[in-house]
Amino acid sequence: MPHVQANGLSFHVQELRGGPSEGTSNGSSDSPAAVARPKVVMLHGLVIDNLSSWYYTIAHPMALEADVHLYDLRGHGRTEQPASGYSVDENVDDLVALLDHWGIDEPVHLFGNSFGGVVSLAMAHRHPERVASLFLIEAHFAVEGWGEHMAGSLALAAFGLDEDAVQDWLAENADRKLSRLAKRSERFLMETSLIDDLQAEKPIDWLAEIACPTFAIYGSESDILDRARELEAKVPGCELEIVPGSSHSLLTEESNLIRERALAWIARTQRG
Amino acid sequence: MGEEITAEAVLAELDAILTEVVGDDLLLDGPLAMDTSFDEDLQLESIEFVALAEKLLITYGERVDFVAWMATMELDDIIALTVGQVVDFVVESLAAVPGGG
Repeated sequence: MPHVQANGLSFHVQELRGGPSEGTSNGSSDSPAAVARPKVVMLHGLVIDNLSSWYYTIAHPMALEADVHLYDLRGHGRTEQPASGYSVDENVDDLVALLDHWGIDEPVHLFGNSFGGVVSLAMAHRHPERVASLFLIEAHFAVEGWGEHMAGSLALAAFGLDEDAVQDWLAENADRKLSRLAKRSERFLMETSLIDDLQAEKPIDWLAEIACPTFAIYGSESDILDRARELEAKVPGCELEIVPGSSHSLLTEESNLIRERALAWIARTQRG
Repeated sequence: MGEEITAEAVLAELDAILTEVVGDDLLLDGPLAMDTSFDEDLQLESIEFVALAEKLLITYGERVDFVAWMATMELDDIIALTVGQVVDFVVESLAAVPGGG
């Protein structure tokens, strides 16, 4: 079931569920089926990112303990790319529609990387009854000046990508993966309202209202370390870890560490 | 009467799936070999590898416990995966099930 229709779009999804099969006898009298497995949904970052960054890092080990749901956010990966509708709120609407599609009405553990972090936070704010906990990696949310900063860096990334010379260079020098990535990113940035939508995001003023257990992890060299401090200061009970020497690409730079923290987090929050 | 699934058969299946996932854009000089790597040789995008794995599971079913296998690997291991590793894993998984099929 790779594609599902939700909130008017076709989403690429992956559902991973591992662990002992039913026939496995381990001498325990408890039926494995009677033990509820936690539900985990993972949300990736912007433009060049997609669900594969989870698939390659923590999704499979997590799937031995939990039912893991991955999807490509609107416009990303193999999900449909509408011309507009890239606000955080519209991304939250997508998540709600997907949870409904999957028939998940119990609270889920949300894992958010970068932009996926702000979507997770907004989901926990708008629909607190559907979120069990937040695990945020380098969460990137709107603060004063976010619009200009975010749009500025994305516009900079888009700048020149459509130039013939740049395309020629990419075709000659870049490998297949990089050329394809550049082409797709260019289309995304130039032909959709993504930059405008992000620029229009208002700074978040409701972090103190987040009610679920929250873990945030950032790299010490991250360009958005101020977000880490803000989460720690404002989100009630937020646990913060700063990883020395890592950048905003923390998930791939420190995938083993993130894997350990993620599994420990699920074990801990599930015990409640 | 369990049918033996050979590495050659799985390799051929993988070849067909690759063509289906990547299409004309497939980078390959000569036939797909056991030592062909997905990242270095085929320049497969990670999202394409996800699609390939999914089609493989649809073909061979739950006897191939891909989740458990992937869970043992670190990011670098997955990036370095070769066609042969996937083929061997599928063959071993199918052979390990008594009376399967």
